[in-house]
Amino acid sequence: MSVVLVPLLPLAAALLSLLPLGRRFAPSVTVAAAAAALALGAGDALRVAVARRLIVIAGWVELDGSGALLLLLVTFVSATAALFSWGYVARHEADARRVRLYCAHFNLFTFALALVPVLAEPALVWIAVELTAVFSVLLVAFDNTRGALEAAWKYIALMFMGAAIALLGFFVLFWAQQMAGGGHYSWDGLRAVAPRLPPVLVMAAFLLILVGFGTKVGFVPMHTWLPDAHSQAPSPVCALLSGVKTTSALYCILRLVPLLPPASVGAWMRGVGLISAGVAAFLLLQVRDYKRLFAFSTVEHMGIIFVAAGLGGPRGMAGAMLQMVSHSVTKSFCFLAAGAALLVLGTREIASVRGLLRTSPATGAALLLGALAIGGAPPFAVFLSEFSIFRAGLEQGRYLVTALLAIAITVAFFGILLHVNRMVFGVPLETPSPARAALPATCLLTLVLAALPILVLGVYQPAWLDALSNLAAATLAPLAPASLP
Amino acid sequence: MPDANAVQWLQSLNALTGGLFLLVTFGLVSLRQIHGCLRLFVAQSILLATSAFLLGALYHTWHLTVVGVVDLVTKVVITPWVLRRLLHDEVQTRREITQVLNIPTALLLALALAITAYLLASPLVALGGGAAIGVNLPIGLAGLLIGGLTAAVRREAVPLFLGLLAMENSSFFAGIGVAPEMPLIAEVSIAFDVLILVFVVGLLTRAMHEHIGTTEVGALTALTEEQAP
Amino acid sequence: MFNRILFNLVQVATVLIFAPLVAGVLGRLEENVQSKRGPSIFQPYRDIWKLFHKDEVVSDQSSWIFRFTPYLVFVTPVFVTLLIPVLTGYPLFFAFMGDMLGGGFVLSLGGFFATLAAVDTANPYGPVGASRTRMVGFLAEPVFMIVFFTVSFVAGSTIPYIVQQRWVTPPANFFAPSHVLLMVAFFMLILAECGRLPVDNPGGHFELAMIDESKSLEYSGRGMALVKWGGHMKVFVLLCIFLNVLVAPWGLAREQTLAAVLLAIPLVLLKLLACVLVLVVIESSLAKLRLFRIAEFLGAAFVTSVAAMITRLFAF
Repeated sequence: MSVVLVPLLPLAAALLSLLPLGRRFAPSVTVAAAAAALALGAGDALRVAVARRLIVIAGWVELDGSGALLLLLVTFVSATAALFSWGYVARHEADARRVRLYCAHFNLFTFALALVPVLAEPALVWIAVELTAVFSVLLVAFDNTRGALEAAWKYIALMFMGAAIALLGFFVLFWAQQMAGGGHYSWDGLRAVAPRLPPVLVMAAFLLILVGFGTKVGFVPMHTWLPDAHSQAPSPVCALLSGVKTTSALYCILRLVPLLPPASVGAWMRGVGLISAGVAAFLLLQVRDYKRLFAFSTVEHMGIIFVAAGLGGPRGMAGAMLQMVSHSVTKSFCFLAAGAALLVLGTREIASVRGLLRTSPATGAALLLGALAIGGAPPFAVFLSEFSIFRAGLEQGRYLVTALLAIAITVAFFGILLHVNRMVFGVPLETPSPARAALPATCLLTLVLAALPILVLGVYQPAWLDALSNLAAATLAPLAPASLP
Repeated sequence: MPDANAVQWLQSLNALTGGLFLLVTFGLVSLRQIHGCLRLFVAQSILLATSAFLLGALYHTWHLTVVGVVDLVTKVVITPWVLRRLLHDEVQTRREITQVLNIPTALLLALALAITAYLLASPLVALGGGAAIGVNLPIGLAGLLIGGLTAAVRREAVPLFLGLLAMENSSFFAGIGVAPEMPLIAEVSIAFDVLILVFVVGLLTRAMHEHIGTTEVGALTALTEEQAP
Repeated sequence: MFNRILFNLVQVATVLIFAPLVAGVLGRLEENVQSKRGPSIFQPYRDIWKLFHKDEVVSDQSSWIFRFTPYLVFVTPVFVTLLIPVLTGYPLFFAFMGDMLGGGFVLSLGGFFATLAAVDTANPYGPVGASRTRMVGFLAEPVFMIVFFTVSFVAGSTIPYIVQQRWVTPPANFFAPSHVLLMVAFFMLILAECGRLPVDNPGGHFELAMIDESKSLEYSGRGMALVKWGGHMKVFVLLCIFLNVLVAPWGLAREQTLAAVLLAIPLVLLKLLACVLVLVVIESSLAKLRLFRIAEFLGAAFVTSVAAMITRLFAF
């Protein structure tokens, strides 16, 4: 039952936050709902780690390993973003009506995000993924500036274009299942008939969904919306977009992997992933806007996850899952830090920022921590997961892929640190007023809370998380030939 | 099972619906008037519903009849109403629209895309599964590609968005052919999802009109990595 | 044998006699739609009669082409009439002499000479109209080709008598997408080829905006009468090809008796009337396209015809 509550809580909060009950009401409802959803989501994840799956309505609402992992990430990032939004919106928006509007949209967005992992029917998952785009577009456009509206337009146009293409993919998938003998149209129903699915149809469905949802993930060359939307959207929204929205679209693509013969699809995945990682790594060298910097880093990380999944094998998929976790927690932290910097500085230009550590030590430290962590420096979470991906690549003898991936990661690391160093160290160009330089308490608290998993996961992996990611990897791996019916 | 003659008629009428669907999609690429584009989109949706009714009779499934009705309600009635309502000025008064490509070139590209779609669909159609798939799948795929082209060559918000909606229509057109037994709740919620989308895009376009004074989205190119001049 | 020759003569006579009537009805209805009284439907006959009784003025700067062209423009539709089904649903004496492509070539021979004749005189408007006609013509040419190719794919032949049966056997064929799209494309072609709106305004008298009409500005008297009559017959013949070959052979004579053939005349005229009504609707609801937009109009026709072909070629 708690599985259903996780998406329903934000939905209820969305309705409640529209009530005009004072400036503090809507944000507090949002935070409360997100915190409750996190508690429930974590509980569900723990239960899945033990029970392997939770079934609410068989074939429609189910939670298995990969779903639970995604649900955990969604609820965690939603909770931190909600908490950060409290201070961010209070500082940013004077109009109480707009605060309510923001909270309502925010809750709808998290509702849609939480819907993706708990649904088991592919067509409904398509709707949930589409809803994440529909509900977030007005958040991207929230500032109503020329840039924000342009970004929102590009965002929704590409999202919907991708959705329309993916929709055909899901229809073809259903057709393939009917030809393989039918059964209930759900992820598990598909897995059950996987060996009998006509390969041409599954491949066609995979390619359609790869192009369609790949647009939502932000694979090069369909990534153009991503830096635009991330530079313009409010920072807590960026944390959700980058941390979990892209990931949930990726999760849908990975769901198809067990249906395909690994040999046919691995090359596609490695190719697409490498192109994204490589191109994004070089693109982030030339950014002028620090939020775009992290956005390109997201494109790069999506590529890395896809390469890892394309390497296949239990270790490759487990590496992909680990990378998904570490990317979600780290990237959302990065955007929260960037949001804090934006609150303090009032500009997104890298060139006009110097010596952030002196103007606002907390913000500077957070930005530096985020940059180091997302770049893959030890001892943070991303380092561990990238390391395990390299190990999987080398074990399988994919030296070229591993080497290219290593180059991309190295370039991205230097690119990120190059820009962040310039911002964090040195002598400040101008000193903002003390009132501005002080972060809201909730933002500070969020940064501390969000930093915890990055630090912890870099040195210690809890047994239940390990079990959960292995379980997730198992649900996304092709069925072993022995276990075929 | 309907008798052979009725089957032949249904298939033939469905093929005709498909041909007209393709023709209307070509029209969406090439029409200059925004209002005309909206009418073409409505026509396309009506054709989609017609195909759903015909296939529903052909496959003996009431699913598709419901899908057709929902399609009529959402895309033929509500969507144009919402767009007209939210974007009165935009839909009514803008006549000429400048395109990225000139119209004959765009039409020839659309033609090439349609042929490509037929070629791409042929291995899938060869799997068998009835004459309706041979009509709906390639034409739906062609509509998907041409809708994408429309979105690429249009610079005005409303026709661009109509191109995207045409893509969704085309996906559905292929979908009712290949997956007539798709769970109804999924198909109906997809339709309502599109409705929310129409509403949101309408609001967004209106916000653009209010805050930056234009809906020519092709002219919005501020966000790049290049140094501002 | 004798019957067939007789029927052929009846067909030619029908075209000769009723072609001006179709033009007259079209003109009258258009005026009526615009709430005007309009000329009598027999006005084209009177015009032709009047012109035959007038003196002919021929520029001494012009060559034999100018004198020869009216006869050619008059004769080519008559030749085409021998090839196509105007009244009968079965092939007549000359049916296998040429296919639709051949008929098209014969018609364009007349058009070609009309163009030459327009250039032949020193009138500045003639060459303007000639070059515009050629522009429309060469844009229309590929569409004609695609239409004929599609027809030959569908029917396995381009002989009109074979093609026309194909659309209605079985009757569901009538609604085949390739057929409907072909009809649309060919109808757009007829509009362009006959100089109707939205390509050309047949009612316009402004030389700079003319396309078709400016070619015959220099003619007078008998030459003018022949050119006019030939023009009416060309429209009639094209409409016959459209209605009897590309749409459906309904209303044509099935039995090989004179009575059946004579009965077919009013039925065919009825079909033509229906078509004329469509033309009237189009002409009164559309504005003339700017010259360079004509390419878009014919581009649309081209796309329609290719769509007809691909829905046919890739039909599984």
